Amino acid sequence: MKTQGFLLSLICLFTGVQLLAQSGSISGKITDQENGQPISLVTVKNIQTGETTTSGKSGLFRLNAGEKLPLIIEFSHLGFDTLRVSVDKDKLSIPLTINMTEKQTQLSEVEVFSDLTKSQYPVLHVGITPLERTPQQDIGKFLRSEPNVGGIRKGALGIDPVIRGFKYSQLNVQLNGGTKIEGGCPNRMDPATAHVDINDLKNIAIYKGPYALKYGPAFGGVLRLITSEPEFYETYQTKVSMIVGGQTNYEGFKSRIRVSGGNELLAYSFSANWNKYGDYKAGNGDVMQGASNTSMIKGQIGVQPLKGQKFFLSYDKSQGRNVDFPTLPMDERSDDTEIYDFNYLGTGFGTGINFIQANVYKSDVHHIMDNKLRPFSDTVVAISDITATNTGGRIAINFNVGKSVIEAGSSYESITKDGNRFKTMIMQPNMPTFTEELWNNALINNLGLFAEYQATSSKIDWVASVRLDFNQANSDPMVRYAPTGDPVFLDADTKSNYTNFSFSGGMTWHINKFNKFGIALGKGVRSPDMTERYITLLPVGYDNYDYVGNPKLKPEENHEIEFDWGYQHSRWGNLQAGIFFSFVTNYISAVMVPPSEIKPQTKGVLGVKRFINIDKAYLTGFEFVYSTPEKLKWDASLTAAYTTGINPEATHYIIENGQVTGEETIKNDPLPEIPPLEATVSFNYHLMKRRLSPGIKVRVVAEQNQISKAYYETSTPGFTTVEFLLAYTYSKNLKVYGGISNLFNTNYYEHLNRRIVGSSAPYLEPGRMCYLNLIISL
Amino acid sequence: MKLIIKTFSIIALLILFGACNDLTQKKVTYKATGAVSEFTLQYQNANHELITVNVTPESAADVWKFDLMAEEGEIVYLSGKYKDIHSGLLLQILIDGKVYKQGSSRYDTIKYLTVSGTIPYN
Repeated sequence: MKTQGFLLSLICLFTGVQLLAQSGSISGKITDQENGQPISLVTVKNIQTGETTTSGKSGLFRLNAGEKLPLIIEFSHLGFDTLRVSVDKDKLSIPLTINMTEKQTQLSEVEVFSDLTKSQYPVLHVGITPLERTPQQDIGKFLRSEPNVGGIRKGALGIDPVIRGFKYSQLNVQLNGGTKIEGGCPNRMDPATAHVDINDLKNIAIYKGPYALKYGPAFGGVLRLITSEPEFYETYQTKVSMIVGGQTNYEGFKSRIRVSGGNELLAYSFSANWNKYGDYKAGNGDVMQGASNTSMIKGQIGVQPLKGQKFFLSYDKSQGRNVDFPTLPMDERSDDTEIYDFNYLGTGFGTGINFIQANVYKSDVHHIMDNKLRPFSDTVVAISDITATNTGGRIAINFNVGKSVIEAGSSYESITKDGNRFKTMIMQPNMPTFTEELWNNALINNLGLFAEYQATSSKIDWVASVRLDFNQANSDPMVRYAPTGDPVFLDADTKSNYTNFSFSGGMTWHINKFNKFGIALGKGVRSPDMTERYITLLPVGYDNYDYVGNPKLKPEENHEIEFDWGYQHSRWGNLQAGIFFSFVTNYISAVMVPPSEIKPQTKGVLGVKRFINIDKAYLTGFEFVYSTPEKLKWDASLTAAYTTGINPEATHYIIENGQVTGEETIKNDPLPEIPPLEATVSFNYHLMKRRLSPGIKVRVVAEQNQISKAYYETSTPGFTTVEFLLAYTYSKNLKVYGGISNLFNTNYYEHLNRRIVGSSAPYLEPGRMCYLNLIISL
Repeated sequence: MKLIIKTFSIIALLILFGACNDLTQKKVTYKATGAVSEFTLQYQNANHELITVNVTPESAADVWKFDLMAEEGEIVYLSGKYKDIHSGLLLQILIDGKVYKQGSSRYDTIKYLTVSGTIPYN
């Protein structure tokens, strides 16, 4: 203590500040306990006299002592735990050294939409720079570069994310404060990510595992897509930002203009995006269908009537036109999506409540698909017209209980889906038309209550979450009529109600300055989705069967545990490694229904499968990320990830001459559609004071031999791609990102790419492609 | 300078706001010829209605014709039948002057001759 006092006095001497307490005053320096950095703007209050002051830039302060002893001084700051110190008469002359502890609930730079609290669960944040750099026009396609994140590719856009082998509604995908979007297509050509423009994003948070329960039912993971929000300024300002990108091969462009501005009271932003791409050549020269044309307009208005009380209203309208899906029986002809969104964030309620957050939304998808580019449209033109809405909201309050923080609240969503398929027999006299109902007014309501507890000590951070969901669903009778008008399938018992309890817990042990070790475990429960409950004789699976829903399915339960080790060193770099194991009960799969019970209705399928629960399935894998320290003139990173999944007892249907002739039980059949082992190595060199950074990225993907026999999956050869990257910052107003992806024109396809419809040919990935993105900020 | 660029950007934003729909219309022509006696035609018009007409040609060289404007992806349909066993029929659908579908029959009074399809996307 004496040494610190001496050093402090010495520092004060150099800085010209006389700190030694004089008669009637007390002084000192305030620092962050974790890193020793001075803290400015700390409110220092003499409790006896009520007199206050604030610390300066160097963390120094001086305050009148008054006469009453001992002195009680309170130190408070928005980002740190409030501290009270008692000072006796004999210590008055010694400058105080105050170490403050960072609050767990640290409001981040980006409020409202971003994570407001530091996550204690494993989370991967993708920042704005990689999003600006990428030539990819689809969020799912972009995410495939993250460790243990894959994507099921069926067409030009709408690549469906797969995280640690979990997919579809096993993942909770949401926008900003909790807005959810329900796609219209039964074959998921428009998953939630397809309705958000990648150029609109400023951050993506990937929560792997069933842990982050406050964001909704979390079974296999939560994917939060964060867009830019309007900002408030002290004096009125206007900002303009633009993205213009173009590329060869997959010829097309992306463009975005955003105008935003505001003052202390009001904030606004208006943006418009337009992306248009054509077909592309694969590495072997084959032309692949991959055209798309999407646009979006968005308006946001924010009001801050009182400091810390922010209200945002936004409207988002996006369109997709003529988007190719060569692996599906139909292409997207049009998609019109509207999102209405209200968000509130309240802070500054005092020391007890950290913030209150609320979100109310409605997303409305109108999706039209047809088979007009398929050969069979020569005889039957089929058009599906579907509307899907998701209406809901979320409210959360984050408050302190002693040294701990609790966030509790509720969320609600209501999903409705309805639509028809119109079949026109264009080669028959009078051109007869048949209408088939696709979704029969299906409805799912989910009300959830959640609470998350976080506590921190000097060595260990703790977190625990609980969630209770009340899920209710119904639909008009599931029915399919033959052209003669007779029902070929009817299920009128469509109601189901579930109460699901999920929980998770985790701890991070800060072993020393460099190492930390984390454990997370949780049980995430999800109710069956609309397809699993109500699909009526459509080929929506990976295999070639018509599928029929099962309203009586049980909720699926994921019990997951993982261990993470983190190492951070300013000289040696950062390393993060983790392994996970997942035990899924009531795993939702499908079994064949005898033709005597239900006859298939799609030409060329092998039969009908019904969704059922199987006892259990396992998934396990690892992730490894290493990056060099940033201070060097160069940086490099290495990531590697692997997941494998097993169904202990699967049924394989034997096919001979296009007919199912028997079945066999397969022990330990791999789960379908899981990406293989892959590793990525990146290297960037920084020139001109980091303004120019050329780099190279090598992606090595192993052959996938872990294939599901029950789903007739085929193995996929391994491949290596090399990408040349270039980043140039001309000024603060202009950044240029360019590169050549697939530099050596490798002919390849991802394991999760579906096959071209009507053939066994894979949907190949683009060959060599040059791209350039300009980012302009004014 | 920044003000000019910002103003330009706002104008560009407004243009993009208005540039969402790009529907493309095509000229569709239905043609029927080759019949020597009365025949019945059924076609889909611009309002997506099925219209039935009876046509009595003076010779096999007579051409019945109908034009309409339609969007890419719309169904075009022309179907015909004749009763005279000595007759025949050639049906054509042209899009922007080029033959898109055609079919012909001779001495077949039982089957409908139908040409149909959807207007291709560019």
